[in-house]
Parts: sequence; structure tokens; C-alpha cells
Amino acid sequence: MKELFEKQVSQLKEAHFLILYWTAKAEEKNAKYNITNIFDDLKYSGATRTKQSAVSFVESLSALCFVDVTGEGNRKHLYISPFGAKALEYLLSESKFKIKKSMFLEGSK
Amino acid sequence: MNIGIGGAGSKLASISSDGECIAINVSELELSKVEAKQKILAVTHSARGQLRGSGKNPKIGREAFGSIAEKLKQVIKGNTVFASTGGGTGNGIASEVLEYLSRLEEAVRLEDKTVFALVLPYLKRESYEYVENTIDFLGNPVSSAIDSGNTGNIILFSNKLKFEGKIPEYEYNKMLADSLNTFLAIPVKGEMYKLLDGHIDFEDFDLYRAKPYFNHFSCFSWDPDQDFETQLKANYNSLLLLPERAIEAMFLIELPTPAKASKLYDILDYFAADNVSPVYGIVHNPELKTPQITVSLLYSRKPRELVEDFKKMSDLYTRNRIKKSLEQHVVLQSSKLDKMNEARRMVEESGTNAGDVLGFLKRIGKL
Ligand SMILES: Nc1nc2c(ncn2[C@@H]2O[C@H](COP(=O)(O)OP(=O)(O)O)[C@@H](O)[C@H]2O)c(=O)[nH]1
Repeated sequence: MKELFEKQVSQLKEAHFLILYWTAKAEEKNAKYNITNIFDDLKYSGATRTKQSAVSFVESLSALCFVDVTGEGNRKHLYISPFGAKALEYLLSESKFKIKKSMFLEGSK
Repeated sequence: MNIGIGGAGSKLASISSDGECIAINVSELELSKVEAKQKILAVTHSARGQLRGSGKNPKIGREAFGSIAEKLKQVIKGNTVFASTGGGTGNGIASEVLEYLSRLEEAVRLEDKTVFALVLPYLKRESYEYVENTIDFLGNPVSSAIDSGNTGNIILFSNKLKFEGKIPEYEYNKMLADSLNTFLAIPVKGEMYKLLDGHIDFEDFDLYRAKPYFNHFSCFSWDPDQDFETQLKANYNSLLLLPERAIEAMFLIELPTPAKASKLYDILDYFAADNVSPVYGIVHNPELKTPQITVSLLYSRKPRELVEDFKKMSDLYTRNRIKKSLEQHVVLQSSKLDKMNEARRMVEESGTNAGDVLGFLKRIGKL
């Protein structure tokens, strides 16, 4: 199982990492973080350019059970799962990706 | 049908379609000057604007959009919108259209995608407002529309050659229109002439023009015995901004004789190096004397970079202007340029916060 988990985490891309990180940050700040916010943040950080790819990053994280997506339509909010938290910890310890600011969480108010 | 917005937009839409177009303006006077199948007067609250146009102020165009919004949203489907990026009417109304497209929840259907043919000002010769309006336009509406994937090709014409070559406006517009029409003729020729190799039909072409990338096209005499890359680079279209590396490509070769064109494979090799497999066709066009190729490259340029390029040039230009105005003791409006896009610049956080978030996850029991 551990092997599978490590293999799954090693497949994650920068965008996955950023989504996990921002989702955790949002939860810490008690802010609701949704797909549109993610799309904006990914766009500003240069990680992706289209909404379709933002959606597919979230879908893959959700399929791996790293995030829980709740709510309807465009109002879906993200929460990091315990597995996702582990994955995030792992990625941070590896320093594979650089942390980037979320405009939604820290940008202009 | 072409749709032309504002002064430059209406003229170009009209010339490239022989008047089979819809012209839109806030100024009645400007509208009366173009030949168009349908003319739409957009209403502004300012009497002066209605009479004399938007006076380089995109706010007036944006405000006037409201009066024609529903109609415009319908007519742009599957068509080409022409506008300049520097003025107030074309820029303002097109900004609203692009923002509307970016906000759509559902993806626009392929056949409904709109191509945007935009005319950029020439920095070195045109007024400061034109440049500033363009920076806003590229950085915001164009940028978000591309990100949404809801536009078709975006064509960036430049007025550089117009000024440097001192070409009269009408003639220059004809050059722009001819160049665009040569690209649009690809599927027509693909069907009209005898096909020797490959295949391009209207369906392929529509799919291609529906892609949300910048389109650079060019048509030139092709010498099969010379290196293709060298020929392509020497023949980039000087009416358009220079392209970046192609993401997708299309080309049509017209041969004067129904000969074999084994050199075709050199072109395919050239694109394959960038992992691009072009849509292509080779036809026999008996009216030609020498082989000719029409090439189109779709490329992506982060709008941020596009704006950076534009800004770099315009900073230089602004500095020179300020210097000049100081010399003449003229007060110049303070420039918003430096603040431009700063909000978008991403900042990397220091490593310390990373620990915080793990601490938080432990506290709430997720870790
Ligand atoms: N190529 C070309 N550029 C034009 C023409 N008319 C205006 N422009 C350019 O368009 C910009 C001004 O926008 P214009 O279309 O006149 O303003 P609007 O009517 O408020 O949209 C400047 O950069 C002009 O150089 C034209 O007929 N042909």
C-alpha cells in the first residue's frame, strides 16, 4: 500500500501540488475554496491556462481521494483529505515543487 | 458574415467582404462612411460620443455595448469580428464581447466560435492613449478569453508596416484584407483544384479556425529545393505580429504542374520536430507559374508575455515622450503603465509558511 501511495504521489504535477497546498491553506483560513478560485490561481501562477485542465487536475485529485469535493455545480468546494494531507507533507519534504501564492487567499482583498 | 466594430474594425470588415458585413459604431457619421449590408448604431449616454465617436475612450464603447448586447451575442456566432485595439469603440465593445465569452459556463460549440481579427497600433508613431488602451485590452479581456478557450483564432495585425512604409490607409486595409482572404481561401482551393496529396476540406478548416490560439499566416512562392525553415522565416507575414513556435499548423501547396512533390516530406519533418502534425493539402493550380504555399501557424503566447513585450516598448516610448515634454514644459498625464499588471506578477512564498500548514493539518487531525 505504501508503495502504491508513493507511486501515486510521485505522479502528481506542480498544479496538483499547488491545489493541495492552497486547499489546506484555505481551510486553515476558514475560506471556501472552489474550482473557479483554483482556476484563477493556477492561471496567475502560470501552471495552466484553461479551465478544462484546472477541472481535470481537481478530478484526478478527487479520484485519488486526496481531496473531497462537496457542493453543486460551480459552487463545489474543496477540502483536503487525510490522504491528501499525507501527500502534501510528502511533496513538501521532497521540495519537488515551489510554493506559489494564491491570489484568492492572499491577493488583493 | 464579418462584423466590424469601430472605425478600423468597420472598414476592415467591409473591405474584406466587399460590403457583405455588419458594421457597428457609436458614431453615426462614421457609420455613414462605410459600406455594409447592415449598420448598427450603438447608443451612448454622451451626446458628444454619439456625434463624434468615443474619443479614444473604451469606457464609452463598453457602455454602448449594453444597447446592442443581445444582438451582438447572436451575430458573432461562427463569424469573424474585426476591431482595432487602440481606439475607444472597437476596444470597448470587443472587450465586453470577450469578457462575455470568458464568463460562459458552457463551452462554446466549435461551429459557434468567433475569430477575432485585431489591429494593433504601431508604438513608435501612434498616440499614447492608443498604446495604453491596447495594453489593457491584451492584458485583460483577450487574456481571459483565451484562457476560457471560448474564442476561435485570434489574429494580430500590426500597423507597423503602414507607418514605416507610409502606405495610405485604404491601400493598407486592402493588404490586410487580401492577406486574410488568402488564408480563408485554403479550403476553397482544396475543393476547387485537383488534389495531388493530403487533404483539406471545410470541415478541417472550421475545426482549425475554432482553436483558441493566435494565428499567423503567410503566402509565398515555394522553392522545393530550398530549406523550408529558411523560406518560412524569410516570409513571415509583415502585416502580422511574429509567431512563436507552432502548436498546430496548416498548409496548402499549389503546384503549376501535376507533379510529384516529394519535398513535401521535408516540410512535415520540419513540423514534426516540434511534435506538430499539420493539416495539409497539395493541389494542382494550372494558373500558377511557380509553386506557392499558404502556411498558417497556431501559436500560444501567454497574454502576460505579449503585454510585457508591448509594455517594454511603450515604456521606452513614454520615457522619450516625458523627456520631450519636460523640455517643452508641458505637463503630461501621469502614466499608469508602471502599475500595469503588477497585481498579476506571482510571488513565491518563503518556506516558513509551509511548516505552518502542516502544523494546522496535524491540529485538525488530518495528519
Ligand atoms: N489599419 C488601419 N488602422 C486603422 C484604421 N483606422 C484607424 N486605425 C487604427 O485604429 C486605432 C484607432 O482606433 P479606431 O478604430 O479609429 O477607433 P474606434 O472607432 O474608437 O474603435 C489606431 O491604432 C489607428 O491607427 C484603418 O482604416 N486601417
